[in-house]
Amino acid sequence: MNIIAVSINHKTAPVELREALHLDSKEIKELLDDSRKDILSEGFVLSTCNRTEIYGFPKSPEVNYIHLEKVLLEKKNVNGIKDEHFHKYFSCSALNHIFKVAAGIDSQLIGDNQIFGQVKEAFQLAEERGAAGFMLKRVFDAAIKVGKRAKSETEISEGAITVSYAAVQLIEKIFSNLNKKSALVIGMGETGLIAAKHLKDKNIGKLTVTNRTYEKAEKAAEELHAQILPFTQFKESLHEFDIIISATSAAEFIITKDEIKKMMKKRNYAATVLMDIAVPRDIDPSAGDIDNVFYNDIDSLNIIVEQNLKKRKEELPKVQNIILEEMINFFSWYNSLEIAPTIKSLRDYFEEIRADEVQKMINKFEPGDREKIDMVTKKIINKLLHHPTVELRKSAEMGTNSPESAAKIAIVRDLFGIDKTNTDKNEE
Amino acid sequence: MPLLYLAAFGIYLYDFIKSRRRLHNSKRLILFLTLILHCFYLLIRTFAFDHPPITNVFEIFTVLAFGIGFSYFVLELATDIRGTGPFIIIISFIFQLISSIFIKDLIEVKDVLRSNLLGVHVLHALIGYAGITISGVYGFLYLMLYKEIKSNKFGLIFERLPNLEILEKLSFYSAVIGFLSLSIAIIIGVIWLPQAFPDFSYLDPKLVASSLIWIMYGVGIFAKLTKKWVGKKVVMFSIFGFIIAIISTILTNFLASSFHSFY
Repeated sequence: MNIIAVSINHKTAPVELREALHLDSKEIKELLDDSRKDILSEGFVLSTCNRTEIYGFPKSPEVNYIHLEKVLLEKKNVNGIKDEHFHKYFSCSALNHIFKVAAGIDSQLIGDNQIFGQVKEAFQLAEERGAAGFMLKRVFDAAIKVGKRAKSETEISEGAITVSYAAVQLIEKIFSNLNKKSALVIGMGETGLIAAKHLKDKNIGKLTVTNRTYEKAEKAAEELHAQILPFTQFKESLHEFDIIISATSAAEFIITKDEIKKMMKKRNYAATVLMDIAVPRDIDPSAGDIDNVFYNDIDSLNIIVEQNLKKRKEELPKVQNIILEEMINFFSWYNSLEIAPTIKSLRDYFEEIRADEVQKMINKFEPGDREKIDMVTKKIINKLLHHPTVELRKSAEMGTNSPESAAKIAIVRDLFGIDKTNTDKNEE
Repeated sequence: MPLLYLAAFGIYLYDFIKSRRRLHNSKRLILFLTLILHCFYLLIRTFAFDHPPITNVFEIFTVLAFGIGFSYFVLELATDIRGTGPFIIIISFIFQLISSIFIKDLIEVKDVLRSNLLGVHVLHALIGYAGITISGVYGFLYLMLYKEIKSNKFGLIFERLPNLEILEKLSFYSAVIGFLSLSIAIIIGVIWLPQAFPDFSYLDPKLVASSLIWIMYGVGIFAKLTKKWVGKKVVMFSIFGFIIAIISTILTNFLASSFHSFY
């Protein structure tokens, strides 16, 4: 199979280059159109914050990785890009790579769920532009199958692997129904904002934000549909919240143990989660000694992240086995697409039907006519199969297993149930 | 029967440790078969000895083992919370083991023990004690998870058990069911026992112990409902109640002499 691919990703290039090469959907469409003019017969482009990859079936044997790199760099004129920033793949390795990407094991965060959706979108975009033909659709189906199997048959995507998500995972181990809980996020920097978004995604009942700079809190509140508490007043309202996440850049504790004690008294000692994801810490850690107060800082959340990462890594062999199985399946199918065996199978199939029918009727003919009947039916079959045979041979001349010939062969095998007939026979 | 409970406990424990998806349904099936066979065992005993197996403490232990196992099975089906199975089934196993070792084939039972009211009284007392036991186990699991989260140790308990709020709810609702059943058992007992037993006394140790347990749970449930007690405090109370209930049952059944003992 002559599929080729180039990839620039977190393993090959620094973030500045990856960012510079990132393509939006409009640029991807343009790139697909450009590449299909004289480089690729089928192709698709995957571009995320961590990778930009081009896959395709070359229009001629002369087309190689250099052409793919060139078409990308023509679209994105980036300084400092070198050939070594690209990984190159051909045939088996290209298929293996897209399977790994779809399964999430090539991601920076192993088992990343997002990439599966991004692979799907990349294929859909290629289909919209008419760049995904018969072969690419099969590659797509196989990649999607790998992604789904990895998710359902292994635990490669289980558990939180970022600190802010680990905080949410921990909160869910304390409270059952987040939509009946209220949360306060102190500090609307990047970390605080991500944590607030996670809570929103988990349908938190009431979300309130506060920030030293009021405008920043206002902007975040608008984005998250949250309420705002002025930074100077939030301490008076601490008891109203089941969850308090703090992520400010304050140099000292902004919430003391005594304040938590008072808060708990007002709350009648109902369970309260304190997530201190600031460095240096915002909340006095000795507050965790109070009954029904669950205090966690970045170190304890990192324990969860490390444990989950370790577990995901342990799942890698299982995912690799799935990839291997699906590669075997794909190439078994692909190898059945060779011209000569297909023509032979087609002829055998027709001959078998002819011989069977002649045998059934043979006694109705005079002994002298039987040979003639045999000859006439053979001629009919030969004439019927003449044109399809010529067409199949012609497509073989376009190159070994070119997408066009593969498509024709697959249709023939499918229409006449050739593979099915062989399987049935084997089973018998 | 103990071997079947041991097998069910084993598969639940194995799944708790290893979390094998393929075991999720098979472990439930094994528990179901165990309960079906246990049900047959109880019916066969009833017909063979011409009385329901509630006339002495070791007969009651086997019914209690069944009651706890069955309650858990229903709870698992209703809530799909599967991680707590081994901690409940081990209780069924222990009760059944005690019963199987000491149970005797009694054919002759006192006439007073053939009363229908006794059946209702014992049935409610059994549900009451099963509720208290399950409440105690969930309370214990709550404490284990509470400690694990507080000490930043995120091991098997953290991964497999449901969250603290659910464990607290399960413990509380089991205690409420147990308390209501015990209330009915005590009411029937107070009305019927003086007529059935000539040597009846309100100062009987078993009666006093049961009443104390009942009052204790009543106070605890009231405190929780009025939100005076929450979280760890309620759970500690439930565990404490369970321990008191077990100790008082042992003391009153085996050490004190009472009109209430039949074995």
